[in-house]
Amino acid sequence: MNKILFKLFTAAFLLTSLGTSASVWEGGNAENGEALFNANCASCHYTTAEVLAAPGLLGVKDRWKGVSDETLILWIQNPQAAAETGDKYVKSLVERYVPTYGWMTAQAVSAEEVKDIMAYVQVAATQVAGAGDATAGADCPTIGDDLEESGSASTTVWFLILLVLFIVVALAASGVRNSISNAIANDGDAEAGLTYTDRVKAWMGRNMAFVSIIGLVLVAYGATIGYQALMGVGVYEGYQPDQPIKFSHSIHVCENEVDCQYCHSSASKSKHAGIPSTNVCMNCHKGIKKGKQYGTEEIGKIYAAIGFDAATGTYIDGEGNNGHKAPQDDFDGDPIKWNKVHNLPDHVYFNHSQHVVVGGLECQNCHGDVQKYTVGRIAPVDEVAALVNDYPGLIPLSKPTLTMGWCIECHNKAEIDLASSDYYEEIHNRLKNDVRGNEELRKYMEDEEITVRELGGWECAKCHY
Amino acid sequence: MTRYTLSSLLLIMIVGLGSCVTDPNSPGLEYMPDMYRSPAVEAYVDYGEDPYYKTEEVAKSQRNTISARKPVEGTIAQVKSGDFNMPYAYPNTDEGYAAAGANLTSPLATNQENIEAGMEIYQIMCTHCHGEKGEGDGAISRNGLIKGIPSYTGKLKDLPVGNIYHTLQYGKGLMGSHASQMTQKERWQVIEYVKVLQNGGEMPEFDANGNVLTAAASSDEAAQDQPQ
Ligand code: HEC
Ligand code: HEC
Ligand code: HEC
Ligand code: HEC
Ligand code: HEC
Ligand code: HEC
Repeated sequence: MNKILFKLFTAAFLLTSLGTSASVWEGGNAENGEALFNANCASCHYTTAEVLAAPGLLGVKDRWKGVSDETLILWIQNPQAAAETGDKYVKSLVERYVPTYGWMTAQAVSAEEVKDIMAYVQVAATQVAGAGDATAGADCPTIGDDLEESGSASTTVWFLILLVLFIVVALAASGVRNSISNAIANDGDAEAGLTYTDRVKAWMGRNMAFVSIIGLVLVAYGATIGYQALMGVGVYEGYQPDQPIKFSHSIHVCENEVDCQYCHSSASKSKHAGIPSTNVCMNCHKGIKKGKQYGTEEIGKIYAAIGFDAATGTYIDGEGNNGHKAPQDDFDGDPIKWNKVHNLPDHVYFNHSQHVVVGGLECQNCHGDVQKYTVGRIAPVDEVAALVNDYPGLIPLSKPTLTMGWCIECHNKAEIDLASSDYYEEIHNRLKNDVRGNEELRKYMEDEEITVRELGGWECAKCHY
Repeated sequence: MTRYTLSSLLLIMIVGLGSCVTDPNSPGLEYMPDMYRSPAVEAYVDYGEDPYYKTEEVAKSQRNTISARKPVEGTIAQVKSGDFNMPYAYPNTDEGYAAAGANLTSPLATNQENIEAGMEIYQIMCTHCHGEKGEGDGAISRNGLIKGIPSYTGKLKDLPVGNIYHTLQYGKGLMGSHASQMTQKERWQVIEYVKVLQNGGEMPEFDANGNVLTAAASSDEAAQDQPQ
């Protein structure tokens, strides 16, 4: 049945197209062709020689030289029917490409439109394929922009405060110093036979103001560093190790609006948010082979890890372009070794789905403005607290990120929406019906809100194994 | 020693010392090993970094293993009741694609719960390519990075659900397989929403139980509403 329809269609088509005598290669409207090409063909073909999901169209005119225009038009409108015409070039085309890329899908374009497209293909060959819109993402930081200013600012402030303190003390004691230095200076030029240490001492005595200020600076600095080092034990704010690939959240989330959970897809299902496996990168990078900043260098590392040949657009393990079973199955490459950034010790349990799905928290509440980052990092708590106005529902905190103080501060502040779950309703009912219940309930409701803490969020065993 | 040199030296020291920032590549100070490097079997642990390793050789080989591993082929996931976990029956070939289109139907009911869940998943998984309303105008497409993404109301208007599922399972052309990112149920739910988009993106009306009011029933109602 299908076959008969096929043949009827082919015949009807051949009849109509015989009327158009002018060559497909001449007189088309390239502008119109560009729109048509982008809408219909650009998901598989580049206009250059590069392979996307099908061979590039550079030089098609030469390749189709000996073939009639009708066959070309038929090929585009119905490749399988064109193959049945037995044309030699089409046959070679099918033999070469179909095993790897599958059949080209039939395109609903008219003969006139093919003409426009071919006009565009011929002029477009000179344009660079895959180059993004230069104006995209003007507000998004790029790799190299500095983000870590805030950390150094607080060091300087502490340092200055301590310095001023020491100078005040020094000035108070300076009267004593002055008299000593006068006494030394009066000794006159007895320097001749002195040892080096004695001479240094004498010089220091003469330049007391200078020496003491330098000394004070050093002491103040030492105290600042010491204090900060103590406060920083076990605090990992601002940690942002270099990664094996210069992956930028800014490009992906800010410029191209990819959702966090597209890549960190297990955040809603499990304890871990997860780092995307390489096949997830390939969902986009099969088609996006060049970056704005690093060209093919960084994206090439993904290909090396998964075994993808960018030149032919195929996986080395032999799966075709029309879908792949599971890259990396048969390819034995080195995995991408991302450096772990967030890390809780083994004695704590943290679960993402509990916070993201049940708690309804935004990722930004704990991880900061990730879409502005060019490298994964632990967001300092002040930076996160400054985002309150950007994210409704964000709970500003004050204890350093990823410390226990940070966790329980939030559990103390975070309110629970009792209507959000049957579980809470059940607990609520039990408390109401229990003899002791009402009293307990009243206690909880004294401040008109139920926090995570009041439901046991401060119990050690909730977080500690 | 002029006053100038003195004060400029001071300034240099203040600025110089003050701007010493901690190295972004170092996680910071740790007082005694605090169980940060886990010897236990857990996901996302840097094996081979734990202080209890046996030999450097073992540690080295551990550092080269993937911690996020794929399940053994043929594994059937354990799921909650009402979820699906059976292996996909159609092969990744043109014939498989056609057969899925002809035979595969959704195991889910078209109701409010599934459509709304599907919409949420769609906004996470598909909008950046296919666009909010499925017209092929997501950010990546607007930025000219992946072109020619078909519109649900255009080329894909009559695409059967079996084909959509097949594409989500295996990928097609530039669209990769999304099987690793979505459970089977989520895939069917997102398809429920794609069906809405194929019909123009207008959310259907639901009755009190969350069932879709059929087109006939709702247009009847609309007709009744009109004169009043
Ligand atoms: C779904 C992907 C896809 C789309 C969309 C597509 N093609 Fe193709 N095209 C292919 C594949 C694959 C081949 C290689 C032959 C084969 O495997 O069927 C091909 C081959 C060709 C060839 C022959 C290339 C050569 O080197 O001689 C031409 C010409 C062509 N396509 C034109 C078009 C035009 C024009 C459009 C848009 C109206 C288009 N194609 C849309 C996949 C596609
Ligand atoms: C295109 C995929 C992709 C998207 C979208 C994405 N991420 Fe990531 N994310 C990654 C990769 C790859 C890494 C590992 C490299 C790194 O740390 O920079 C990562 C790392 C992270 C880390 C640090 C992980 C660690 O080791 O502790 C956090 C936190 C994070 N992402 C949060 C987010 C948030 C929040 C969003 C949404 C605003 C988001 N990601 C969107 C791919 C993505
Ligand atoms: C949802 C689609 C998508 C996914 C998934 C994705 N990327 Fe990208 N990636 C893009 C886009 C879009 C660009 C921007 C290309 C441009 O602007 O030219 C890009 C650019 C890049 C760049 C180039 C940076 C430069 O300027 O040279 C790198 C490197 C990169 N991505 C790595 C990754 C890695 C690693 C993964 C997997 C964890 C990944 N991407 C997953 C869409 C994606
Ligand atoms: C309640 C705070 C909180 C929220 C909300 C949160 N995270 Fe996390 N995230 C953490 C903590 C704590 C860790 C460290 C976990 C560990 O080491 O076991 C972490 C670790 C990560 C990692 C590293 C890999 C892993 O799974 O351990 C990624 C990636 C990540 N988060 C992404 C996200 C994304 C994406 C979201 C939003 C969907 C999100 N997080 C929401 C607190 C949070
Ligand atoms: C909301 C979760 C949570 C609760 C509840 C909690 N902790 Fe913690 N605790 C943590 C986290 C997270 C850390 C790790 C902090 C870090 O890495 O710096 C930690 C660290 C610790 C440490 C430090 C271990 C070390 O070697 O540095 C001790 C001791 C501790 N908790 C005791 C307790 C006790 C006792 C309770 C009950 C009163 C408790 N915790 C309740 C989350 C919690
Ligand atoms: C990386 C960008 C990208 C993402 C993300 C993406 N798609 Fe696609 N999709 C494409 C492209 C490109 C095509 C055209 C493939 C072709 O025919 O060559 C396509 C085609 C399709 C088709 C038509 C397939 C057919 O049988 O002809 C459907 C249906 C579809 N996508 C659904 C989805 C759904 C549902 C999601 C979200 C879960 C999704 N896509 C996510 C890029 C994407």
